[in-house]
Amino acid sequence: MPFIYTNVTLAYFMSLLGLLIYRSHLMSSLLCLEGMMLSLFIMTTLTTLNMHTMLMYMVPITLLVFAACEAAVGLALLILISNLYGLDYVQNLNLLQC
Amino acid sequence: MNPLAHLIISLTILTGTTITILSSHWFLAWMGLELNMLAIVPILAKNTNPRSTEASTKYFLIQATASMILLMAIFLNNLTSGQWTINPPHNQTLSTMMLIALVMKMGMAPLHFWLPEVTQGTPLIPAMIVLTWQKLAPLSIMFQIFPSTNTSIILMISILSIMAGSWGGLNQTQLRKILAYSSITHMGWMMAVLYYDPNITILTLIIYIFLTISTFMIFYLNSNMTTLSLSHTWNKLTWMMPMVPLMMMSLGGLPPLTGFSPKWAIMQELTKNNNLIIPLTMAMLTLMNLYFYMRLTYSISMTMFPTSNNTKINWQLKHTKPMPLLPPLMTLSTLMLPLTPLMLTN
Repeated sequence: MPFIYTNVTLAYFMSLLGLLIYRSHLMSSLLCLEGMMLSLFIMTTLTTLNMHTMLMYMVPITLLVFAACEAAVGLALLILISNLYGLDYVQNLNLLQC
Repeated sequence: MNPLAHLIISLTILTGTTITILSSHWFLAWMGLELNMLAIVPILAKNTNPRSTEASTKYFLIQATASMILLMAIFLNNLTSGQWTINPPHNQTLSTMMLIALVMKMGMAPLHFWLPEVTQGTPLIPAMIVLTWQKLAPLSIMFQIFPSTNTSIILMISILSIMAGSWGGLNQTQLRKILAYSSITHMGWMMAVLYYDPNITILTLIIYIFLTISTFMIFYLNSNMTTLSLSHTWNKLTWMMPMVPLMMMSLGGLPPLTGFSPKWAIMQELTKNNNLIIPLTMAMLTLMNLYFYMRLTYSISMTMFPTSNNTKINWQLKHTKPMPLLPPLMTLSTLMLPLTPLMLTN
């Protein structure tokens, strides 16, 4: 595995760990999701450029489209949460605990 | 919600799962999962109250994380094997990573904590969609990659799911939470037999979907949310009193009813493979499930709660929620046990 792949994989796992461990603001969780998406985007772009497979040319742009959709839905939920609570702390989401 | 938007969202939910089930390309399967997840969030957040907002946020965060983990596993699989076809990955680590992502998406044991909360936070019909339709897409991917996953991990996940579902549901009075825990238990039964005979998994899934849909439809008919409100069944819909206990016992898996048939097949299959302890443990743990279904039965048809009740029997008006599908669903979910040999021979 070339060095750049290791680097991108490391970026992905850092974002994943950030999402799983650092649970303070909803905004930072969404940013971690974006970080994972973007590192995966860079990874697919590199793979496409290296391999020159025609079938894969579509994958990075589709991935980017889905990243945008996911960010839009996440931000809409963030707005709903901050309208309701005034804050975006993940700890505030405790109404439904059993 | 705007009817057109609602139509488009519902169609997207249908399309997403269908794309995932039908595709043999990893990226297309992932796209189907993502479409499904993005479309269900507005349905969950339709009523703007704190509970449904929280439920949809939790659902979104969990499903997006699981999607990302699955996508990373897919890309690493593509890097190592150089192909996009959905085959069982040769690398054990990658297939465990996919397993974790799918378990997270289905709401199974070590990662199940979101499922009761999301189900409790939404109205009955979205909760029904979360518990039935949303299981199809991850389970179809699971069905295609299971040969390379570690059998011990799958069996451990299924036993843990059955434990979590039965112990978690014991202390609940909210019907949607009880059904969510029952869903966790049923998913555990499905996963336990996946390695030995995947066709039985499909049979269990189909019967579980029938049972859950008919139970939710009955609750929706009366807008039942708690155990207390079930006790008014006798003076609202008297004909429901003998039917609901049958449904509940079918959900718990008592012999003359449909719910017994998948459990029978699973236990037979596991015993045939010289696995004796695991089916015994599963059956013993599911007894606790049966206990809380029996408690619901008790409050429906054997008791009146001490609340003020001025009219003895309500005036039977024409029902405002017509459900033409409810009688066939209830028939299917109670009387299908004699058809078991037909469903198992293939």
